[in-house]
Amino acid sequence: MASIAMKNWKQIALANGLDIPVADLDKITPSLDGLEATFRPLTAQLNEASESSLLIRLPGSPQ
Amino acid sequence: MRTITEAAAAIRTRSISSLELTQQCLRLIEKSEPKLNAFLTVTAEHALAQAKTADEELARGVDRGPLHGVPVSLKDLFRTKGIKTTAGSLLYKDYVPDFDCAVTEKLNAAGAVMIGKTGLHELAYGVTSNNPHFGPVRNPWNTESVPGGSSGGAGASIASGTSFLAMGSDTGGSIRIPAAFCGTVGLKPTFGLVSRYGTFALGSSLDHMGPLTASVRDAAIGLTILQGADARDDFSVSRPAENYIPPQHATIKGLRIGVPANFYTDRIAPAVMAQFRKTVQLAAGLGAQVEVVTVPDIAALNAIGRVILLSEASALYEKLSAQREKFGADVLALIDQGRLLPATDYVNAQRLRRIFVNKFLELFQTIDVLLTPTAPTGAPKIGQALVTIDGTEEDTRLAATRLVRGINVLGFPALSIPTGLDEGGMPLSLQIVGRPFAEATILNAGAALEDAIQFPGLVQTQ
Repeated sequence: MASIAMKNWKQIALANGLDIPVADLDKITPSLDGLEATFRPLTAQLNEASESSLLIRLPGSPQ
Repeated sequence: MRTITEAAAAIRTRSISSLELTQQCLRLIEKSEPKLNAFLTVTAEHALAQAKTADEELARGVDRGPLHGVPVSLKDLFRTKGIKTTAGSLLYKDYVPDFDCAVTEKLNAAGAVMIGKTGLHELAYGVTSNNPHFGPVRNPWNTESVPGGSSGGAGASIASGTSFLAMGSDTGGSIRIPAAFCGTVGLKPTFGLVSRYGTFALGSSLDHMGPLTASVRDAAIGLTILQGADARDDFSVSRPAENYIPPQHATIKGLRIGVPANFYTDRIAPAVMAQFRKTVQLAAGLGAQVEVVTVPDIAALNAIGRVILLSEASALYEKLSAQREKFGADVLALIDQGRLLPATDYVNAQRLRRIFVNKFLELFQTIDVLLTPTAPTGAPKIGQALVTIDGTEEDTRLAATRLVRGINVLGFPALSIPTGLDEGGMPLSLQIVGRPFAEATILNAGAALEDAIQFPGLVQTQ
């Protein structure tokens, strides 16, 4: 299995201007890393035809 | 008297009035609240007025059905006109809505008596109901243990007999987990069957509203009342109304029951697995066709669910997240996590969700219901951050949601029923999952198993 490159969550927070203290970022990093390791490989099965499960309902559409 | 069916019969035979029954529940709340902290608001005056009206109506021959005059409670995220609705959060600690949510409307129309608003995990974002702002809700089976969450007050209320139906919400297991830990029934209906209008959202595409009750038939009574299309909820679905109440002698003869060979057998506490196997044998003995099946990748489904929930919840609370002091540490950590995920991950999670729904629809072509344990362990202790299963430590929240979260991603209906007690005297449970809108099937299966199991039910608070 190919290894997943982990993200630098502190840099992401900084680049996005998020007001999350460094100590709090340290606490959530393991959880985010774990999610990244499971989620990222799943996206390989998506292709151009893969539609979202969310659809917009316009006025007049049947419920 | 512990069920809606019994209460409704007693009210109609005049062996008790709605007012007397309501007063009984209020006395029980007064006695149990110092130990349980199950309620954030007890609406005694409101309940007594509703009960008087219910009695007057019945005397005039106006009968609104099985909930008429029966005390119920609402998790404190269902908006109630003129009655405080806090969502278990400091952000809303003094919020008094000027309208009722759809569920409140339905219960009012059914003549139910609203006895109070139950405690929950802050913003419904967690599984312990150990609320830093309003104190921990405690498990009636052992007050040192959590009742589960996020609908912890609802579970505690049913287990201690202070209400006959307790409304909960379920975004990643928040009805089924407290049902499992408190030894009650909990029903998460198919996504769209019960309106979300007017409830505090958490994950808008994952939130389900449903009842916790003392019996499967009571949950069916609740769903029969709560179902229905609502133009105010974009995810609401229009379907013909059904009577979901199972017959007196429900049977599962010939029902195709899928029992997972993978995932749901990994990292399960021995007592939970032993009780699960015993219940499967019971089902086979009742004539069900038990088939061992391989389920699609639930770990993947759970990861998809986490990406969706983290994103949706953080989008909801982003504008408030600067008020960091108003959030508990665990909820704030989840909101921070969601803010760090890119939008592409959210969209891709919703695309993957569709693929997994199709995989499960394929599985359900060969089975009618899927049986799994609801939770991998019994109720953890209050403040317990990790649970140990087979020598491996796991985060309490991730462990409690592991067997239930994926079903929210699918939107399929799921019912949790109690099946027995572990060696420590804490409840064990079973989850019955059905195909979309097959509530009648899972409720019927649940009723048949419940009749055979004869779970002890109400508990005197330890």
